[in-house]
Amino acid sequence: MAHRDWLGLKQELPGNRRLMLTLFSFLAPLLLWSAVSYVPWLWHPLVHVTVPGDVDYFTDDMDVPRADYDRELAKVKAAGGTVPEGYAVNPVYLPPPHKVALAFYTAFTTEPRLPNEPWLHESLAHSIRTICWGFFISSLFGVPLGIMCGTYRFFSRLQEPFIEFFRYLPAPAFGALCVAILGIDDGPKIAVIFIGTFFQQVLVIANTVRKVDPALIEASQTLGASGWKLVRRVVIPASISDIYTDMRILLGWAWTYLIVAEIVGTMSGITYFINQQARYRNFDNVYAAIMMIGVIGFSSDLLLAWIGRIIFPWKRKAQSSKSAPSWWAKLLPKKTSPQPSQA
Amino acid sequence: MSAKESTLPDYRDLAPEVATRFDRIRQRPVLLSVQNLEKKFGTNGSTHTVFDGITLDIHRREFICVIGPSGCGKSTFIRIVAGLDEATGGQILLDGKAVTGPGHDRGMVFQGYTLFPWLTVKRNVMFGLEMRGKDKFTAENEARQWLDMVGLSKVEDSYPHELSGGMKQRVAIARALANEPRILIMDEPFAALDAQTRCQMQSYLLQIWKKVDVTILFITHDLEEAAYLADRILVLGTNPGRVVEFIENPVPRPRSPDQFVEPAYLSLKLRLEELIHPPVEVEEDKLPMIKLTNAGDDVE
Repeated sequence: MAHRDWLGLKQELPGNRRLMLTLFSFLAPLLLWSAVSYVPWLWHPLVHVTVPGDVDYFTDDMDVPRADYDRELAKVKAAGGTVPEGYAVNPVYLPPPHKVALAFYTAFTTEPRLPNEPWLHESLAHSIRTICWGFFISSLFGVPLGIMCGTYRFFSRLQEPFIEFFRYLPAPAFGALCVAILGIDDGPKIAVIFIGTFFQQVLVIANTVRKVDPALIEASQTLGASGWKLVRRVVIPASISDIYTDMRILLGWAWTYLIVAEIVGTMSGITYFINQQARYRNFDNVYAAIMMIGVIGFSSDLLLAWIGRIIFPWKRKAQSSKSAPSWWAKLLPKKTSPQPSQA
Repeated sequence: MSAKESTLPDYRDLAPEVATRFDRIRQRPVLLSVQNLEKKFGTNGSTHTVFDGITLDIHRREFICVIGPSGCGKSTFIRIVAGLDEATGGQILLDGKAVTGPGHDRGMVFQGYTLFPWLTVKRNVMFGLEMRGKDKFTAENEARQWLDMVGLSKVEDSYPHELSGGMKQRVAIARALANEPRILIMDEPFAALDAQTRCQMQSYLLQIWKKVDVTILFITHDLEEAAYLADRILVLGTNPGRVVEFIENPVPRPRSPDQFVEPAYLSLKLRLEELIHPPVEVEEDKLPMIKLTNAGDDVE
């Protein structure tokens, strides 16, 4: 019953299989991409002309649809002229994996074409700066407000209905308004990220805080805690690690708003880079830049998860219903704490 | 009813040393006085009475167990004593002062441990002390003493999730006692533990109670536990909740599991059984007969 070991209902797989499947989840799309790129008879709808021959409109280094090429080839053959030569290629917007891999390096070393254009690393730094400011300002107000709403019904009833409404207004719709108010530089971009994050943040954190075990609050009351002390010493520490997890998810959302935010006003950051490269038809750079966003987002989340394990040692044992949101958290090395002898 | 009962003494016949002990207890000042306590749910129209007219006095350093069938409101009763719920009538006096809201003079131990998972064992015990404004150094010293008393000094820097259920409950007891409450309220504290650990914890609790000047109000649904631990057993009835009997435990102290075969213990247990699990009257003639049909009958 080998399939049982792989497809056990809700059963965790052994470590080596987990790792194998994880690698496969990345390898499968990569293999498909490689196959389409390197196996000549898979797709390759164009012919890259190397020798124009006697076809009038063929030039060196030109891509023509295969049907046109075959037709012209037949015509020239019939007329007895010089035969054109070429090989099958994919469209320019699908560069093969090795070119994209190379672009990860060359994109950084290629000098900008225009004098005032930023280098790639400058574009990335600009994007990260924008997202950090947007997220920081949002958290500065969103986290305390969320905790207040989650703790006191008064603030919940006072704030949440409006916020619930406001979060349905798409952040990009405020782009033009933000430019009018804040100018064309980074101000409106940060504002769009703020609008996209803040309202979700308040609601998500308020919900997390509301989920604090009421028994813990009652226990602390019987120990003499009340008022602000109870909030500071019980409500906040009881929810802080889940709030941290919320913040990680919200940061992921902030990344999705980044691209929209960077189009607002003067295009900037990684979005500007991607657009310029697409305009120059350097699609390998476009793919590399898109993937860099993924790599930065993913690795920053890994880093935050790792930091979380250090600053919330009581969460190391998977006891929270909401401990880690992602499959990869299970791959992290588990720190085992010494088990004291049983009572 | 049974032949066994006739050979047992009446549970109200106290041995001389037990009787004198109760005399001594009655001379102590009343610590907790519950007067005509009433709890109703629901607003105008349909109200549900959880309990009504509960009146009792608990003396200092008594060990009281509360038992009763489910739905008699025993949990609601002690939640009101703890100040976590409000009564709809009557009042509770602790040392002559009316109880309003929770406070550190009434320590509580819950069935679900309710240790703060983000604090180490020691910091958990320090929590109440710090809430009462003691400085960290004093709080830490006192917490260490309490942990020492429940035998958990070795794990003072562990987090609650690293402990077994019995250990967690010992921390919870230490945490409640560190606050020097007048009364320790325990809501089925050992119900979630396995039988063996529960037995150990009961003995632990008696030892602790011997060393500490504290009154204990202990809810349980385990009749043997009540008989083993209590000075007096408050038996609540249901529909509506009320005091059925407040029994003086005839089993002499110090208690040990050896006493489980003594007549005093057995007669008490029999009485508790009677009160909690009244015999169900089944009129056998009126039981509906189930017609057994032969599947073959339907086959043509």
